[in-house]
Amino acid sequence: MSPASLDEALVAAAQGGSAEAFARLVERHQQALRAFLRRACGDWSTADDLAQETFLAAWTQLGRLRAGASVRAWLCGIGYNKHLTARRSWARDRARDAQYGEGGGPALEAAPKDRVALERAMADLPVEQRACVALCLAAEFSHSEAAEALDLPLGTVKSHVTRGRARLLLALGVSDDEG
Amino acid sequence: MTKADDRLRAAFALNDPPPRDAGFSAAVMERVMRRRFLEDLAWQGVLAVAGAGLLGLLWRPLQTMLVSLSQSLAPAFAVLAVLVCGWVILNGRGDSDAILQT
Repeated sequence: MSPASLDEALVAAAQGGSAEAFARLVERHQQALRAFLRRACGDWSTADDLAQETFLAAWTQLGRLRAGASVRAWLCGIGYNKHLTARRSWARDRARDAQYGEGGGPALEAAPKDRVALERAMADLPVEQRACVALCLAAEFSHSEAAEALDLPLGTVKSHVTRGRARLLLALGVSDDEG
Repeated sequence: MTKADDRLRAAFALNDPPPRDAGFSAAVMERVMRRRFLEDLAWQGVLAVAGAGLLGLLWRPLQTMLVSLSQSLAPAFAVLAVLVCGWVILNGRGDSDAILQT
């Protein structure tokens, strides 16, 4: 059974009330969702809280998931909206972002050089651009998948990815001609 | 795929959570189950209040009817109650296995 058809079967079972099927969906998609939210919001514990809330929302909204739609993209879309809501309502996010931009925090101290440079560069990107980069460059979403997940026009996603990629490569000191 | 993209992807991968995380999955499912329990509780509370209200409204005509019925049907209901009790004791609740499996 392909991953997509397994997802469809699990979604159908979960829509019928099977908690076991939903638990398997959580297990299958937690890594992708948490990785996306870590990159989108920069704070690991906030990202994991948002990921839990995303799965909770997904449980109640499972009936709205279209047949054949990508579960991973759908979850990332919910997670992104939760991230935007949290950013608006949490005043402390500003302080956290500032700290993140300065490269502080225990997660960064022991990190390899590329990782630190990448996290700093990601923190400097605008929110939408950061989300597009996190999905298309890190999570291997297609541009159209990312556009659907983030509810953005395809052209906007493409330009965000192009600009974000250039800024990240600059931060890593990598030339685009290397490949 | 260029070397630059490879290096970007490798740097991103350093921050990936583990592919399996039993603690995270358990925390999510605990919250899901708690939500489900509260929804069930709320739904049953609404049903109980609605049922009590309906019974209150219909009590007078029901009481008259039940008193007259009970005189004639009491022996039959007693036998029926004994049969139902016996069946439940011998077979158990029909949906208990399904509940345990979910």
